[in-house]
Amino acid sequence: MSRKKIRGYREFLYVLPFLILVAVFAYYPLYGWIYAFYDYKPPALLSDSQFVGLKWFTFMLDTEIKRKQIWQVLLNTFGISGLSMLFSWFPMMFAVFLNEIKCEPYKKFVQTVTTLPNFISWVLVFAIAFCVFNTTGVVNSLLMDLGLIKTPIAFLKSNEHIWFKMWLWLTWKNAGWAAIMYIAAITGIDEELIDAAKVDGANRWKTIWHITIPSILPTYLVLLFLNMANFLSNGMEQFYVFQNSFNKDYIQVLDLYVYNVAYEGGSYPLATAIGVLKSVVSIVLLCVMNGISKLTRGENFI
Amino acid sequence: MKAKKLISLLAATALLVSTLAGCGNSGSGTAAQQPADAGTTTTTTSSDSGSTDTAAAADSGDAMEIEVYDAAANYQGLQTGWFDKVVKDRFNIALNIISPQVAGDAIYQTRTSSGNLGDIVLLDSVDFADCVKAGLIKDISADLPNYSNLNAFADQISTYNSGLEGNNGEVYGIPTQMLNTSPTSYSQDVIYSSPLLRWDLYSELGCPDIADLDGLIDVLGQMQEAHPTNDAGDPCYAVSLWPDWDGNDNMLGIANVVQLTTWYGEKLKDSAILKADGKTFTPVTDKSAAYYKILKFLYKMNQAGLVDPDSGTQDWNAACAKMSAGQVYMFWYSWQVGFWNSQERLDNGTAMIFIPVADQNYYADADAYYGSGRVFGIGSGVDDAKYKKILEFLDWYASPEGLEFQHCGIKGFNYEVGDDGKYVAINDNALMDNLPVPEEYGGAGYSDGNNQINEWIVSSNAINPNTGETYAKDYWSSWKESTRTQMKKDWAAKFGADEPAEWMKKNNKLVISPNVTVPLGSDTNEIGTIRSQCNTTLCDYSWRMIFATSDAEFDAMWDEMTATLDGEGYQDLYKFDCEKWQPQVDAKNALK
Repeated sequence: MSRKKIRGYREFLYVLPFLILVAVFAYYPLYGWIYAFYDYKPPALLSDSQFVGLKWFTFMLDTEIKRKQIWQVLLNTFGISGLSMLFSWFPMMFAVFLNEIKCEPYKKFVQTVTTLPNFISWVLVFAIAFCVFNTTGVVNSLLMDLGLIKTPIAFLKSNEHIWFKMWLWLTWKNAGWAAIMYIAAITGIDEELIDAAKVDGANRWKTIWHITIPSILPTYLVLLFLNMANFLSNGMEQFYVFQNSFNKDYIQVLDLYVYNVAYEGGSYPLATAIGVLKSVVSIVLLCVMNGISKLTRGENFI
Repeated sequence: MKAKKLISLLAATALLVSTLAGCGNSGSGTAAQQPADAGTTTTTTSSDSGSTDTAAAADSGDAMEIEVYDAAANYQGLQTGWFDKVVKDRFNIALNIISPQVAGDAIYQTRTSSGNLGDIVLLDSVDFADCVKAGLIKDISADLPNYSNLNAFADQISTYNSGLEGNNGEVYGIPTQMLNTSPTSYSQDVIYSSPLLRWDLYSELGCPDIADLDGLIDVLGQMQEAHPTNDAGDPCYAVSLWPDWDGNDNMLGIANVVQLTTWYGEKLKDSAILKADGKTFTPVTDKSAAYYKILKFLYKMNQAGLVDPDSGTQDWNAACAKMSAGQVYMFWYSWQVGFWNSQERLDNGTAMIFIPVADQNYYADADAYYGSGRVFGIGSGVDDAKYKKILEFLDWYASPEGLEFQHCGIKGFNYEVGDDGKYVAINDNALMDNLPVPEEYGGAGYSDGNNQINEWIVSSNAINPNTGETYAKDYWSSWKESTRTQMKKDWAAKFGADEPAEWMKKNNKLVISPNVTVPLGSDTNEIGTIRSQCNTTLCDYSWRMIFATSDAEFDAMWDEMTATLDGEGYQDLYKFDCEKWQPQVDAKNALK
């Protein structure tokens, strides 16, 4: 065996753990898709269950009503993800403005206060939401005391602008955390550029517009693409805690739908089938994004 | 150079090991994932009984830990407090309760697929039959005759077990809340669900006769108008609903609504409504049936501003807090009075009591001669020593001594023995106020240490051989004496009967459904899926209908709901459920 070959094996060993990692956590779970093709129902074992082929896939879509429901779920997923994509510049602008604050202690204070909610779980966020917005909560009590309303408003029950409200909660929780990346990028901007702009007579707005934003735009784009990858997985915890009979139609995203079908309904084959559907949609999305990237930037990212 | 190589090799090995260790738990299958809210349970659920034994030994001396998979429990973890002490003193065992109500139903799937549900198993009968079929339950027929307290119910136990599919004399399950009266009698004073109103507010209005549901809305409206807040100044409502139990107990739809259908003698059997004649089924979507009627009633209540606007989004605990604070003017479950009625309130007349509505005809399940539907069993995986301990424990659990602890509480703390040998209740607020128990029972709160199994082999209405009275204190002669307050006397004078059930029987307003034990078919996978989807649809629409803004919207929603249900396969489900429940209905009618 040549030295080169031995080196090749050795280097393969270095990368092996990571290959195993990927195989175990990314490919092995695909084995679970097998449940979508069986009439599996605990406590019976899979080996005792009957093979039913594509029954659960047709079951999912066999009536008008069911197709409408799946469509609504997809629509919710796209709507909510799209909304946060549309506003993805928000943390960036937040970071830019935060950077302009000259009073250091105040700046630190704002940054800390906005970052902290990221570490609170959604369950607690909902507990806070419930205390503030239920019919005897802070907001209603205040409005009633001020005489602005006579009967309490059931904020949590309304499904008006629910996507936007969900985005607000998400932003309240995440904006400070998401801004950290941009703040780091801003610190990396060459001071000389800013000084030069000042010499040329740029005011603060112009510095932001012509120096700061262009400098952190690459960071923004990278994060945007990373977010695209999570387009269908916009998290279920948030929607799980906020869902109720009144807003469920518009809040049920794919992940939550899978959860509701599998755990509330106990139907594992159907939930698995929906999971498969999600993967299919994801692959389609990926190809579309790749196509767009090819058209606009002239290069693939896969 | 060599050291570097060694380090990288070590790092690679460490990574490899950690990956493999990681897949130890995920290996048992993608289907067996835990829900997020089961976080507290992971330590006990994923480990097998062998390793929990050692973990428990460190916790509780050398007591043997018994895992109780308990469909009735509202608590998860080791039994603590006085009941733990009682059990430990006698059997040296510690009860580790696993509750699907706390941990989420997914725990049932996880544990059954691991082949070990628990050492003691308490399940609803359909699940129990499935588990017997899957070989998760031990046959106890050989040993049962040696345990006299259990064997006293040999008739009921063998009737239940002979109904299990393909049974040849094996005994797997012990029914719960059995009673040695008869399957057609009704021996309680109150029924499970009936309209209960505040007596002081009702008499303030001059005790008006209530003709129908509209009359009830009228009376409740006047009550709420006269008393919009409680003493603390919090807003009061006629009803406060909660969604936690929707779809439970073999009934599709909002739990609070389906319970109220029994006011018209109708009873939900899954997706079908059994009409008051006890023979015919009708779909829950039938506009002439009680589900629609009750939904419309609650909608009208909401139109009149009588429904707590938090209904549908609040949880059970929030609803309880309102009941205890006197913010709710109508109850409908017999046990709800436990949140409000106290001796003091019975004395001063502010307690809740049944007020008849003239056009109603109340449904009640007869005495649970054959049991209430849930079944105790022993896990097939237990070893001999544990098996013997469990049988001893269950036998004690059905013995007079065990039953006194379960139903009466602690001697000298919850009751005293009178001169005639009969019991007299004391500290009757022990449960409500979590009073500290005597030191010899380990101190701590009574409610905290109460029996967390929350299900009994023998009903509290059984006769205690030590006193000749029931175990339940409500029927003790001493208790009846002390609760015959002015309020009860006024009530009796107005309605011409001593107790609600007596009034119903007298006026022919009680539909008693005989107690039978008939095994029910379990869902196919497809029906199960349709069922859960239909249930979600029915509940979601129902909640929105209660809060609809106009009659037109209400009716439009109902039609939309019916169409959606049909699209989800409701007709198949209805057909399945009619066939599923027909044997039970036949058996009931045969007893009438």
